[in-house]
Amino acid sequence: MYRNIVLSLLILASVQLFTSCSGCSDKKGASNDSLTLPDSLITDAPLKLSEEIMNEVIGNLSSPVEMAGLFKSSGAEFTQRILNNPDNVANYVTSFQRALNLGVFSADLGYINTFDKNNIVVSYLLAVKNLADGIRVGQFFDFNQLSRLATNSANLDSLMEISLTSFNKMDSYLREQNRSNVSSLIVTGAWIEGLYLSTEIVRESGSKEIADRIAEQKNVINILEIILSNYSTEANFSDLLVNIQELKEAYAPVRITTELGEPQRIEKDGSLVFIQAEISTVHYTQEDLTRIMEVITKIRSKIVS
Amino acid sequence: MRMKRILFILFISLSLTTFATYAQCGEEVKKRALQEMGDAQYIKDFSINLTKSPVEAKTGMVRFNVLLNSRTQYKFNVANGAMNADDIVMQLYDKDELLSSNLVSGKKYKSFEFVCRTTKVYQLVFSFTGGEEGCAEAVLSLVKQFNE
Repeated sequence: MYRNIVLSLLILASVQLFTSCSGCSDKKGASNDSLTLPDSLITDAPLKLSEEIMNEVIGNLSSPVEMAGLFKSSGAEFTQRILNNPDNVANYVTSFQRALNLGVFSADLGYINTFDKNNIVVSYLLAVKNLADGIRVGQFFDFNQLSRLATNSANLDSLMEISLTSFNKMDSYLREQNRSNVSSLIVTGAWIEGLYLSTEIVRESGSKEIADRIAEQKNVINILEIILSNYSTEANFSDLLVNIQELKEAYAPVRITTELGEPQRIEKDGSLVFIQAEISTVHYTQEDLTRIMEVITKIRSKIVS
Repeated sequence: MRMKRILFILFISLSLTTFATYAQCGEEVKKRALQEMGDAQYIKDFSINLTKSPVEAKTGMVRFNVLLNSRTQYKFNVANGAMNADDIVMQLYDKDELLSSNLVSGKKYKSFEFVCRTTKVYQLVFSFTGGEEGCAEAVLSLVKQFNE
């Protein structure tokens, strides 16, 4: 009697263990990959902030969707020459360069998608896939599925959504694997590229709206400085941090003031809309903006070269 | 006696693995959250798995930092796991100040929209009433951007 019950329970337990562990294989592979990264993105130096705090800090610093949406609404024309060239991928031989440029190409993809340029999107997807493979996170990008979507402009919204979901999954995975140093580089690359594209569009169109958005990023640069200084014992990170600090200095004259209005809550057709009470205004001179744009261009050039 | 002990250990192990399996929301719930996002443009998603620990005091909530830009209307929507005893509460804070919530006058909504007028990092907090456990998938999306 007991033997039969034990046997049944053992079978049940095996099934349970098998099914609940169906997602475990990736993690196992992951720990291997973090050990076999080909260069200095693995460090034994103690972190100033724990991985847990870093995960809270990083969040979403830059959204290609938001920047690209602004570009389109400003009336700016699509300009391919301001994007990074997918042929440059072959030049990125270290994990540090690959991670930074993975962020750069993610911002470029957002720009391309927003302007429905499906004739060039495949080469950018391929660049993302190759860079992601280079830092052992290529499993999150189904290149064939993304390429299929890219062949039809009616699918570009889905393409954007799937690309971004893939980036988010990759980001979560990197953090789970305590590889937030890699994650921080991708975030930095995407943020700088978003600012660089904005800079180029302001130079061409003089858009006040985009210039304001560039100036408002003053609030973000401190977060980026905290993130990167966490890994500053590593030479590449230390160099990048110096560049970010130069940008922080360029941002110093920018002032952001806030005033309090009335918070509002509107309920319409069963959905809730809250309007924030705090309203901020950004103050800067043309000189301030020019200096910020110069430093952004310099950092971006260094990242993609 | 030995048989009884084996049986007991197996029962405990089974209960724990069963619980762990049901505490996960998975792709189906995420898919639902993405569908419920509607016409807004996807920015980011959040997976929430809350467990109730008898030994740890700080349970029952999870927090994500999100950077929101001024002159932008965002949508936050959430889909609940099938096993949840109650729907999840989703709140947006600026440090200690509660800015918006899907729980209004005792009613829980599946989403709320937020018109942001100051660029900064905000905190998106998820919890269950009474610190209960469950899972959910939430999506942050872009509704519109304002010129002024």
